Amino acid sequence: MLRENGFNAFVIVGGLAAWKRAGEPMEPVPHDDLVKLPTFS
Amino acid sequence: MNHLIALLAHHGYAVVFWLVFAEAIGLPMPAALALVGAGAAVASGALSAPIVLLLAILAMLLGDLVLFDLGRRMGWALLGFLCKISVNPETCILRSAESFYKRGKLTLVIAKFIPGLNTMAAPLAGSMKMRLAQFLRFDFAGAALYALAYGCLGFVFRDFLAALTNSFQAAGRLLEQTVLIAILAYVVYRAWLFQKYAVYRVVPRVQVEELARKLASDESAGVLVMDVRSHGYYDAEALRIKGSIRLEPNNLSEELKTLPKDKDIYVYCT
Repeated sequence: MLRENGFNAFVIVGGLAAWKRAGEPMEPVPHDDLVKLPTFS
Repeated sequence: MNHLIALLAHHGYAVVFWLVFAEAIGLPMPAALALVGAGAAVASGALSAPIVLLLAILAMLLGDLVLFDLGRRMGWALLGFLCKISVNPETCILRSAESFYKRGKLTLVIAKFIPGLNTMAAPLAGSMKMRLAQFLRFDFAGAALYALAYGCLGFVFRDFLAALTNSFQAAGRLLEQTVLIAILAYVVYRAWLFQKYAVYRVVPRVQVEELARKLASDESAGVLVMDVRSHGYYDAEALRIKGSIRLEPNNLSEELKTLPKDKDIYVYCT
């Protein structure tokens, strides 16, 4: 969809797991971005 | 196939139970076909309807309970694992979750009839902390409906089968053909899905090392790294690529309006 809309988009092979395995820098997800899984209780 | 039929003839209850249980825990087993066969066997007097129904429901409830419990303990990690074998893992999770958002608990009643969702419903319910008693109630309804639907199908078409098969061997050939047609239909369906999602596979890919080099160079100003994991992946301990920003996949059309077109966008999920 990104490319369909004219963006020069790429996919990182292996995603976050590959990034982590490679020892590249990471950071905690900001608190505001955290969304709890919806629950029935 | 003859071996399978012989198994059904001699160990019908066990075959039904284990096939249904195996499918319930996510293994690709032809439980529906086993139930159709059991329905026909009931019609011919080889098996008892109440026992078949009881065993099928029990097998489904047990299998679903396993996934429900794992879903409760592992949350989205389990859903991600179960969706790995899907044609489109991200869609698999989102579509399953969407069904719960739209239909709520009733999803458990109809889930077994929907490929993909049938395996995801129980762990999703567990992940969403549905109460056990409530889960069992709705799951029982779904299991009973599923077993009855396919069992009745076999029962109703017993005459049709009998007209075509005058002997056990002939029945074997017919079932063989039925299974072959079912497999063919499944292959066509998977090919159609593969074709449908082909567009998502043509997006250029980049290796981690290449991106890391770019981020460490002068080119970093023209790079935007975006986390496109669905919100369910996040938990209090969640990490992401340093400097990346979140792109909510459920709200992509709106999010696109805010993105710069003069930068290379690198997206990632789990």
